[in-house]
Amino acid sequence: MEGQGEVRAVLPPLARRRSLLRGGGLAELGSRAFPTVLIGALVLMIIDVAARSGVSVAGSQLVNGITKGAIFALIAVGYTMVYGIIELINFAHGDVFTLSAVYGKEIGRGLSWIGMSLWGVSLGSLATRGPLGLAAVLLVLFPLTMAATGITGVLIERVAYRRLRDAPRLAPLITAVGVSFILEGSMLVTQGSSNVRTDKEGWIRGTAFTAGGVDVHWADIFVVGMALLMMFALQAFIRSTRLGKAMRATAQDRDAALLSGVNINRTIAATFFIGSALAAAGGLIYSIFFDSVVWNLGFGFGIIAFTAAVLGGIGNIVGAGLGGFLIGLIYVFGGQITSGQWSNSIVFAMLIVVLTFRPVGLLGMRVPDRA
Amino acid sequence: MPEHVSGRLAGDVDLPTTATETRAQESSSVFWLLVIGGLMMLVGGWLLPWFVEPTANGIGASPMDVVASPPRGVGSLLVYLMGLSMLGLLAGAAYDAVSLRLRRGQPHRWARQRAVLAAVGMVCTVTVWYLIAKRREEPLFGELSPLALTDNAVWLTLTGFALCCLAYGFRRPIAARSGLTLAAVALVVGALVPLIFRQSIEFISWAAGAAAIYTLLALGLNVVVGFAGLLDLGYAAFFAIGAYTCGSLASSRHGDVLHIPFWPYPFWIILFLGAAVAALFGALLGAPTLRLRGDYLAIVTLGFGEIIPDAANNNAFGQTGGPNGITGIHHPSLFGHDFGIDPRPYYYALLVLIALIIVVLRNLERSRIGRAWVAVREDEVAASATGINTVSTKLLAFAIGAAVSGFAGAFYGAELGIVSPDDFQFAVSVTALSTVVLGGIGSITGAAVGGLLISFIIFWILPHAQEWSMTFGNTTGFTALSSVDYSKYVYVAYGVILVSIMLLRPAGLIPSRARKVELQAGGESEPLAAVRGRA
Repeated sequence: MEGQGEVRAVLPPLARRRSLLRGGGLAELGSRAFPTVLIGALVLMIIDVAARSGVSVAGSQLVNGITKGAIFALIAVGYTMVYGIIELINFAHGDVFTLSAVYGKEIGRGLSWIGMSLWGVSLGSLATRGPLGLAAVLLVLFPLTMAATGITGVLIERVAYRRLRDAPRLAPLITAVGVSFILEGSMLVTQGSSNVRTDKEGWIRGTAFTAGGVDVHWADIFVVGMALLMMFALQAFIRSTRLGKAMRATAQDRDAALLSGVNINRTIAATFFIGSALAAAGGLIYSIFFDSVVWNLGFGFGIIAFTAAVLGGIGNIVGAGLGGFLIGLIYVFGGQITSGQWSNSIVFAMLIVVLTFRPVGLLGMRVPDRA
Repeated sequence: MPEHVSGRLAGDVDLPTTATETRAQESSSVFWLLVIGGLMMLVGGWLLPWFVEPTANGIGASPMDVVASPPRGVGSLLVYLMGLSMLGLLAGAAYDAVSLRLRRGQPHRWARQRAVLAAVGMVCTVTVWYLIAKRREEPLFGELSPLALTDNAVWLTLTGFALCCLAYGFRRPIAARSGLTLAAVALVVGALVPLIFRQSIEFISWAAGAAAIYTLLALGLNVVVGFAGLLDLGYAAFFAIGAYTCGSLASSRHGDVLHIPFWPYPFWIILFLGAAVAALFGALLGAPTLRLRGDYLAIVTLGFGEIIPDAANNNAFGQTGGPNGITGIHHPSLFGHDFGIDPRPYYYALLVLIALIIVVLRNLERSRIGRAWVAVREDEVAASATGINTVSTKLLAFAIGAAVSGFAGAFYGAELGIVSPDDFQFAVSVTALSTVVLGGIGSITGAAVGGLLISFIIFWILPHAQEWSMTFGNTTGFTALSSVDYSKYVYVAYGVILVSIMLLRPAGLIPSRARKVELQAGGESEPLAAVRGRA
């Protein structure tokens, strides 16, 4: 009799948990309804803005949202790559993004100095001279900044994460928070606490075309085009190169990859390099677009981009891109509807909702363990 | 290669096999805590006069003034006796160090004589302390600068020396009852702080403000992060909820609904209301998200931690006062004594509250719930298979952690008379996390010590580094030192603390028994060790 009593005492909680949280519960419902509800809500928001403030406002906000989304997408890719390969939320990634804008500024200054002393041309004057000059500047500035940021990312992995790869899960996450604060703090110390100009004013000017009363600027096209270019290049890289294959193998099963001769340390370092370099592309695009950066910019951008990565399905690069654009739209339209006050909160609430109802994201590849 | 990795690979590390061995390790950390704390106070007392302008009321005379006074009167005799015992203890420590290094002689011999020496030193110190505090007649100490008699520096030195004597002379008894000793010493020294620093009201308001609040936050966060293993990066949100609840109830914003005419403000009821509301929010946030894995939970809490100050800033529901926050919060009163803006009553109230919370948390840790937390932290599937309701266990950790921060929030608002959204930004969450990590994840003593240390570094040393380095730079001629803005280095300091602790000493300064074993041996043996250690 006693034995039966024990069994009965154990059974109900297990059974209840199964029905509520596992199969057939909220998650199952979320998997079907979630994309529909999300897209529906977004369309409703756009219609609401159009009805209240006019179609042209809605249109220009649409452009605005896609532009912001492109930058979020570039950062989100870095989050999703690192998470895919070592299951670490690289908390410092948002600050790597800010850092790259600062690098871009300093490298630009260095290049300007070289240009002034050799040919008497500064970087800014060359970039604003015409499309060819601009292309030349970007072709020098992008690789240099991306390489510098990539090396920083590799260094961060080497110093702060590698030793803790097999440690309890909390440990690398806490160092990631620490690295984030070291980066933010050093930018605060060196750059000051207010907005800093990045010396990229007016590099890309003018309106490309006007559609239905909405001006689409060259800068918008540049941002979105660059982001798409980068992401397609990355996708091709991961699909078709040896290193890309090694990354996929490491992400799937690290031990098995090790056994088949993949150099794990190098692969992970390469992942950090590429992720940081993409964040650097985002940082440069951002500084060309807004021409200003502030030391703690990466904190908010980091969480928003992480939300994008989760929304798209963490570990999934296409998903991160898609999530970035969606979050960009939600951010901009949510802000418009609440007159700018709640845009951050809406995105963070979004994060909680996604993780609660649809933890695998829209295109989820990797199913996060339910603890 | 870090310890735990090599340990896991090698598989044959020295595990503390018995409860007594692990206990001995912990008690030795208590010994070193006392010694290091005492030495820091001792040296701090000697250094203090160099850092402070000598004109400030009474601060600036050094302990040297007491020691160097011509021998006259009982007081001086005691001071010399104290100095002699100090020399004796130093000689003994030097002998130990040398004989340990050269592997000759017998370290720690003459134990009884040493104990007597230390006892003499301690009694003399306490007597001098008392004499200086109560009877300030010249004949006691000979010709002495009147400043020295009432000086913070002297008192600090004396307290530090008494602590060193205690630790040195009574090493064995302390090892046997480490927890009790630590608690007693902490309470006594804690109660004496307002006396020691009587002239520096600024220091007492630091102790009643930053130090006590962050110790509370560390204790609460330790329940969530340490006991239950859930990383909470938005802990400031619950602190904010507690502060805003109490603030709005205790200010005239709601037409003083709780104010009964001719009756003092019911702060002590509001305090518990604040904690309860914070706990409720903890459970509300936890309920949908606690089935997520650890790092996802961290991000969700981070998001929540951003939403709450955002909501406060945007004057959600018209109740939070927007960017200006809630002003005009009434100060509490007890038995008809209004606390006002004097930091001392807050200090004592918080000291009692912290002591009570530590007692409650220790008991919780060793209760059925505490063991359930360990089980869930180590292996949730196994825990659930043994009949632990994992969701309610985690929810409880979340709610208790939030409640503790609710207490902190209530006092925060009551002390300052104002709460505003800027006080609850992400930096607060990270500060709390740093305290827990520094002190030792899962260790109550560690959390308390970490809270004190971090708040001392961040909220006392860094703000004052400016003026110290200005004084130092001006006197030595290094004018470059005068213009350094130290407050900018706060973030770097947090980052360095978090990274270096996790890399170099992942169990923290004062490791919890179980966590230490876990980090040495890899995850598997931890629950076993925890059971052994607590058997």
